[in-house]
Amino acid sequence: MLDGHADEISRLIEPGRVHRRVYTEPAVFELEMERIFARAWLFVGHTSQVKNVGDYMTADLGRQPVMMVRHRDGKVHVLLNRCTHRGPKVLNERCGNAKRLTCCYHGWSFDTDGKLLGVPVPEGNTATFQNDQYNLARAPRVGEYRGFVFASLSPTGPSFEDHIGPMKGNIDDLVDRAPDGELALDVGMHRYVYNGNWKLQVENVLDSYHVPFGHASTVNQQGVQFARREGDKEGAAVVEVKEKKTATSWKDRKSFIVGNGHGWTSNTELADGKRSSPAFDAYKKALVEKVGAVRAEEILKPRLHNSMIYPNMSIMGLNIHVRVIKPIAVDRTEVTIYPIRLLGAPDSMNWGNIRLLNVTHSAASFVQTDDLESFVRAQKGLRSLHTDWVDISRGLGAEDADPEINAVRGLATHELAVRAQYKAWLGYMQGAA
Amino acid sequence: MAKIDKAPFEEFLIHEARLLDDRRFRDWMALFTDDGSYWVPAVPNQDSPFNQASLFYDDRDLMKTRIDRLEHPLIHAQTPPSRTAHIIGNIVVESADDEAGKYTVVSTVMMVEYRDEQQRVFAGRQTHTLKRDGGGFRIAQKKVDLINCDSAFEAMAVPI
Ligand code: FES
Ligand SMILES: [Fe+2]
Repeated sequence: MLDGHADEISRLIEPGRVHRRVYTEPAVFELEMERIFARAWLFVGHTSQVKNVGDYMTADLGRQPVMMVRHRDGKVHVLLNRCTHRGPKVLNERCGNAKRLTCCYHGWSFDTDGKLLGVPVPEGNTATFQNDQYNLARAPRVGEYRGFVFASLSPTGPSFEDHIGPMKGNIDDLVDRAPDGELALDVGMHRYVYNGNWKLQVENVLDSYHVPFGHASTVNQQGVQFARREGDKEGAAVVEVKEKKTATSWKDRKSFIVGNGHGWTSNTELADGKRSSPAFDAYKKALVEKVGAVRAEEILKPRLHNSMIYPNMSIMGLNIHVRVIKPIAVDRTEVTIYPIRLLGAPDSMNWGNIRLLNVTHSAASFVQTDDLESFVRAQKGLRSLHTDWVDISRGLGAEDADPEINAVRGLATHELAVRAQYKAWLGYMQGAA
Repeated sequence: MAKIDKAPFEEFLIHEARLLDDRRFRDWMALFTDDGSYWVPAVPNQDSPFNQASLFYDDRDLMKTRIDRLEHPLIHAQTPPSRTAHIIGNIVVESADDEAGKYTVVSTVMMVEYRDEQQRVFAGRQTHTLKRDGGGFRIAQKKVDLINCDSAFEAMAVPI
């Protein structure tokens, strides 16, 4: 059905439209696992998740199990979670602490940097057996920016700097909110799954078009969403009720794309002058003390909504969190959402953020559940054989360059970000390593 | 401690579950005290709803927003709506302070949910902190510890 040749793949993407097989075809998914998820720079975890020596967390890059471990020397390693004897996953818990990593099958044990320390009954080994031939494999390339650890399972390809460079400012925007200039992903997580393709979630992250209708149930009779930030009395104006149309301020939101499939949407102006609560005021004070009033104002201005670091991670500036998208099958995807603890912020502020994230992004939240419904229904609808094309043409040709930040910009209710994702997708899928 | 008559507690828990199964969410909310909360932790033995993520942690305000949404005609995640059947058992009155009118009741809950061609089961232990209110009770806190609280869930729209 699909032989993986570049020109065959390229026929799946046309200007302003995408073939439904991109979402439904198991062979496309298999190829994505090889050409995207076994090559691209993928977000693995944050160094705060392995704070102490011996701390580990496990993850899957595409379908390949890996672990992130902090070794005695303080260095964080990304290792393949696969015993070098006969293959079992060595670590089986989502996170924990271990002195050594021991395989459950025959008991080979590895140091926290992957070195094979010993095997039971060594006299059975062949004469040429040497421990260091059997160390746990390392992810070929690992990069880190402000605690965010990424890995590529390919030894070659664009450098980490090339990949992450255009999105550093977005990571800074988040991390700089911490008075101590550092954040931690150590306050739990939300996990949800849906019966739909992973790209449905990736596209949705930068889709501001769906909000007024897709999230209608979160908007009150005045057309305003519930408050999503600590200190706000209400959320963004989404609908102009009288005219029954999308609010002008919402339509003004912008979308930016910067290559590699990355991009972000800007935020709607909220009532920032009026933002106040004991927790927020204490936080603002702490921030001002650290960075000064002018810089604090700048940091607190809601510049970004969602930022997509293609292909598997997004961060949000409104209800601050980090999202990791994991494809399971062509029609099954798992997502993890980490709340963020801003170091140096008062507990009450962090707790306020955590609490609001419960109602926006948990599996039982007011917001995310309606998105999941759309993903599941899209996956079902795309079974239709005779309407092959998925339309992503909104605003096609209306983009223009934003020379100041070296980005292409358009309206967030347009689909330039989705088109940019497919441009990157095609690049990966046609074998550009 | 004198033997506690479990019957009024059992009756109350069954009534509460019935309101949920009947989708009488506003009446369900009215069972909570003004400072009452509904909590479903996201990890086993979670000691606080404040310092880490929870599946649900609603005070009355958030509960109201949740229920406004559940009654909204455009709640896509409830089109069609969930149907649920709760069963409550193994009820133990863990603490009873008749003077203060404060009680802790632990029970096992199972909720089967059917929606859009799919049926699934939620199960766990629930802890109700109850306050006497005239002849009945109000809920100061309902906490549901699901056995699979830390798994990845498909969308959940209705409280357990
Ligand atoms: S398979 Fe791991 S020790 Fe044998
Ligand atoms: Fe959404």
